[in-house]
Amino acid sequence: MDKLIIAGREFNSRLLVGTGKFSSSSVMAQAVEASGTEIITVALRRVDITNENDDMLAAIARLSAKPRDRTKYLLLPNTSGARTADEAVRLARLARAATGINWVKLEVTPDPYYLLPDPVETLKAAEILVKEDFVVLPYINADPVLSRRLQDVGTATVMPLGSPIGSNRGLKTRAAIEIIIEQASVPVVVDAGLGLPSHAAEAMEIGADAVLVNTAIATATDPVKMAESFKLAVQAGRTAFLAGAAGKTKHASASSPLTGFLRDQ
Amino acid sequence: MGVLKINGKEKQFAEDKMPATIADLLSILGVDSATVVAELDGKIIERNKFGQTPICSGQSIELVRFVPGG
Repeated sequence: MDKLIIAGREFNSRLLVGTGKFSSSSVMAQAVEASGTEIITVALRRVDITNENDDMLAAIARLSAKPRDRTKYLLLPNTSGARTADEAVRLARLARAATGINWVKLEVTPDPYYLLPDPVETLKAAEILVKEDFVVLPYINADPVLSRRLQDVGTATVMPLGSPIGSNRGLKTRAAIEIIIEQASVPVVVDAGLGLPSHAAEAMEIGADAVLVNTAIATATDPVKMAESFKLAVQAGRTAFLAGAAGKTKHASASSPLTGFLRDQ
Repeated sequence: MGVLKINGKEKQFAEDKMPATIADLLSILGVDSATVVAELDGKIIERNKFGQTPICSGQSIELVRFVPGG
């Protein structure tokens, strides 16, 4: 597969994987491995000083810092929980202090029911973070105008949603995402709502540069197998996009010759 | 007696148990400093400065770390 390039950095995988909602750290680690991903997202939260339980964290730390293979996974902190631009900027700065890397998945979601991103606050935060030399990957609704505004202020990608986070409903915003892809000068990563490998393949077939999947893998009956199937679907979808889809017609078009039938005229 | 606001909650320390630096505080709380980011009165403190950053009663400290997320 051709390489994905974000902010000058090359990736062999076009599947980004979220680390939330797994039943255990060991399942999460195995699923991440099986997905072939090179970018995993994490969130930032207050330390619970009354209840020390670091299992999941230790697993992430091990994943991101394998002694022999330190660069295998890029840890992509998100700003989940932020309801305003200021809260998102604060989280991004803390995340940078924690990782020493300046990549951030910017998300500003004031409404807890649909978790739809606030476009105004997202654009505001993106402008601030780009000026502070962050590599900004903003999570947005599938809005072509906002996508252009974000790429104009210098975000590294745009990440339009397929459907609400964790809903597994698939590419409900396909028509708008097609416009975003057509106009994009930065990679388009379809994030949120992809519930099945076929949804991911569909996003890749229409020309998305990558997809981000979490819930569909983490809450599958067998997350490791599902991670692998998403890997294959993303590869298939990308290859199909590069192959160029055959055209659609309203009527039938025979695949077998229409001559030499075993009957008299 | 000293008081620190840690992650939004006030915690009291006896005079002789008051942590002198952020590193001291983490050690008292049993928190592994390798995975933590600290904010002291709104200002981010780099991890390699934990041992040299003094804290005193009345200050507000945020201790955050990565958790699984999408």
